[in-house]
Amino acid sequence: MNAIINDMYVAERQAFADLARDFCSKRLIEGREERDRYPFGGLMEEAIGDAAAVGFYGINSPVDYGGVEMNATMLASILERISREDAGMAAIIFANAAALEVLRVAAEQTGCADVYGRIHSLGTAPIAFQSYAGPEECELPTVDAHSLMSGGVGFLALAPIAEYAVIPARHGAGARYAYYLVALASEGVRVHDPIVSLGLRGCPAADVTFERVPATLIGTGDGPGYFDSMRASLSIAAAAISLGILKGSLRDAMRYAADRYQGGRQIIDWGQVRMMLANMAVEERIAEACLDTAYRELDSGMPGWQLTALAAAIHVGELAVRATADGVQLFGGNGYTKDYPQEKRMRDARQAQCLLGMAPLRKMALVDRVIEERL
Amino acid sequence: MKPWKIGRRERAALLEQGPTIREVFNGLECQHRLPAGAHREVAEAIAIARKFTREVIRPIALDTDLRCMRDHNYLPLEFVKKAAEWGLFTLFIPKIFGGKGMSFLAVYPFMEEISAGCAGLGHVIAVHYCGAATLFPSMNARIIRKVFADVAKSERAGDPHLLTIVVTEPESGTDVQEPLLIHNARPGSSVRRVEGGYVLNGKKIFISNGHLSYWHIANFIEDKGSKTDSWIQFAIPNGTPGFSFGAHEKKMGQFACVASELLFDECFVPDSLVTIRTQDPEFRDSRKGARWVCHTITDHVTGGTRTGTAAISTGIARDAYERALAYARTKQVGGAPLIDRQWAQIILADMYRNVNLSRIMYLEAAFALTLSGLFKLLFKKPVYGVIRWLPRWYFSLIAPLLDLRIATRFLRWYYYDGYPTEERNVASGWGSACKYTCSDLGLANANLALDLMGADGLRHENGAEKCFRDVKLQQIYESTNQINQLNMFYCMVAHACPEVELFK
Ligand SMILES: Cc1cc2nc3c(=O)[nH]c(=O)nc-3n(C[C@H](O)[C@H](O)[C@H](O)COP(=O)(O)OP(=O)(O)OC[C@H]3O[C@@H](n4cnc5c(N)ncnc54)[C@H](O)[C@@H]3O)c2cc1C
Repeated sequence: MNAIINDMYVAERQAFADLARDFCSKRLIEGREERDRYPFGGLMEEAIGDAAAVGFYGINSPVDYGGVEMNATMLASILERISREDAGMAAIIFANAAALEVLRVAAEQTGCADVYGRIHSLGTAPIAFQSYAGPEECELPTVDAHSLMSGGVGFLALAPIAEYAVIPARHGAGARYAYYLVALASEGVRVHDPIVSLGLRGCPAADVTFERVPATLIGTGDGPGYFDSMRASLSIAAAAISLGILKGSLRDAMRYAADRYQGGRQIIDWGQVRMMLANMAVEERIAEACLDTAYRELDSGMPGWQLTALAAAIHVGELAVRATADGVQLFGGNGYTKDYPQEKRMRDARQAQCLLGMAPLRKMALVDRVIEERL
Repeated sequence: MKPWKIGRRERAALLEQGPTIREVFNGLECQHRLPAGAHREVAEAIAIARKFTREVIRPIALDTDLRCMRDHNYLPLEFVKKAAEWGLFTLFIPKIFGGKGMSFLAVYPFMEEISAGCAGLGHVIAVHYCGAATLFPSMNARIIRKVFADVAKSERAGDPHLLTIVVTEPESGTDVQEPLLIHNARPGSSVRRVEGGYVLNGKKIFISNGHLSYWHIANFIEDKGSKTDSWIQFAIPNGTPGFSFGAHEKKMGQFACVASELLFDECFVPDSLVTIRTQDPEFRDSRKGARWVCHTITDHVTGGTRTGTAAISTGIARDAYERALAYARTKQVGGAPLIDRQWAQIILADMYRNVNLSRIMYLEAAFALTLSGLFKLLFKKPVYGVIRWLPRWYFSLIAPLLDLRIATRFLRWYYYDGYPTEERNVASGWGSACKYTCSDLGLANANLALDLMGADGLRHENGAEKCFRDVKLQQIYESTNQINQLNMFYCMVAHACPEVELFK
């Protein structure tokens, strides 16, 4: 039975992956360097629009609200494909999916019809989310008895372009946090200048401050619970972004090494170059194996899949950071320039490693659960 | 006879077994061989660099980086002027050449300090000294004096004439920098002998500081049929007909220090600006031959410059560490200070260790240079004494003697004819060892800083992401780390294994 389900998922994933590949070749390769200059260059507006047209912003929202209602593995396949070419676009889809995932988890308890109903651009424009930090790493805004939010959030991915944001906030000092939906066009919202970030620059981010801004509570207000659930499923997507970047880097490094001639031969024929490619290939295979396991466990609902997903995101993130540094190295001086996509991949991989929070804290969260389970 | 009583001969034989003191105990050897006063110069250089970094570099570092990101054509000319006001472009130039004469040993800790403020701006100064380190091995006393007299004069006038190091071409990077590969290089440039000089054609790329500099210490292969022994070097000033700047690269980091294209189109360079030519009978017919001289020129250059890149890497590693530490002291995570978390303390401990390991490595290489490499003569006690204690006016009186051929002959005899291959290997081997070690440690620290700082580390204004972008270059230029590993193997390991074949 599991095998049949798996086959079904594999076929569907493939279909999404093909769609993503098509999208990449049409929208993401040309102009990659210029887009990567954001905020000093333009945004990939057309690609952001097209991603809506092919349904990338509704992958994990319910069919009733115009979504596709796919699980995280479908999302991951798309992100992996896209990240081979430009992980900036993947980071946009990721932030939106993380926001929607919080909503989806909450909706399992309460339906959340009112929240969904408020998002007029659901599925057609991405929703902002703090992709790079868990709530425990940040100072959070507060929401008063009249459901008005005050304070600020840092590094809100998509804030410069999104109409809505899903934001963690506390209901009074010291209280546990809950998630709220906020319309960013509301009075009292200030979206600061776009952040100049290390990587994933195609996905704009900004700090945002709120002054008595109407906020809609999401679900029952169990912020930590929603965050944990969201983090488990989106970890697979984060790992997929890292894997995609790694794959792109290896593919281009091989092509370059086969073309570049130094010291009397194609550099691919120097033993050390081969060894570096071999290391990258090993890293790629290990990363793929991690993700495959995570996909399989999630698709078949295996108990503990969440831990595998968390571990995969941590590990594949590390592998991609290491491999993309070699990916630059194999290009020599050219690798350091923006004429080739390798340096961008190295920065993107490093930034992707921060998706869903700083890696040491994610490791600690993982081991807490392992200890809880085993002791 | 007690077994630990060792006679002189036996002791010598044991020590010769290797690793020898000469190969691996450079710091220890310097304890007694280094002239008194050298350590004080290092301290003085560190103090100057710290003050300059605090007052000039740090306040503009992140802004300059951002400005270059916004406007690719921005050049930090004001910074160059400021550094000139502080006299930094002649600080380490010997007095006899018109500089302030601070010792070369001090240049490396100086580079670490300024790079801890900003590697890009630090490079603007450091590359100038790399240019100097490329010119010095020509041992052409007349041209060295001419170039540095001009640097000193222009620095005083507030418009300093900086030096570049010019080697790389589009078709040839690794292979023109690596003596063992040069025979297979396919440089696109050409050098043609004409009456009174040479005509150059071709393109050099990735030349650090190109657009900011005036003197270009340009290296070419003269005879394509005999690449291993036909090194020719020119000192080319801006304004030379046929020489121009092309674009400069859009790169990952170190924005303040541009990487320029240098274009040569029927560029005539007179004989008077040829600094060294290994096909001259002086080398071709010498005991060791032109090929050995070519190899040694390369190693003299790279021994000095790679140690410099290692010091810069150490500066970046330190910058990353200091930023992470400051961050951990103020950041609250889950309601507790980040610095109180044991895992955070371990990360910071590793970073601190990496900085110190890195410093030990480049200092060891710098000691090797003073004992066995390019600085050897200057650190002989009597020579050092004269250089350090005699006033500058005295040197300006005797400097014209450098124009005599005998000055160049003597230097070339000392650094080529009389120079043993074993010493070359030690200086070059340590240069490579520290270059790749320090850049790896630098990248490790940048990564650790980003681990510790999470999302905040990704933001430009916090500086850690800049360390990450900047430090990657350190693994690439001055030959990639992998080539440096192979050079270290060649210099330090392979000489004891005669059966080894390299670059097979
Ligand atoms: C920002 C920047 C500043 C620079 N500044 C200067 C400067 O001021 N002056 C200057 O002259 N140059 C400069 N360079 C050039 C730099 O020194 C070269 O880029 C570097 O030496 C590598 O050469 P390459 O780019 O041609 O790489 P390649 O030689 O093409 O190397 C590509 C890859 O192949 C590997 N490889 C090549 N040959 C072999 C082999 N035989 N065995 C094993 N592996 C091999 C390399 O390790 C590398 O991983 C700069 C470069 C950059 C990016």
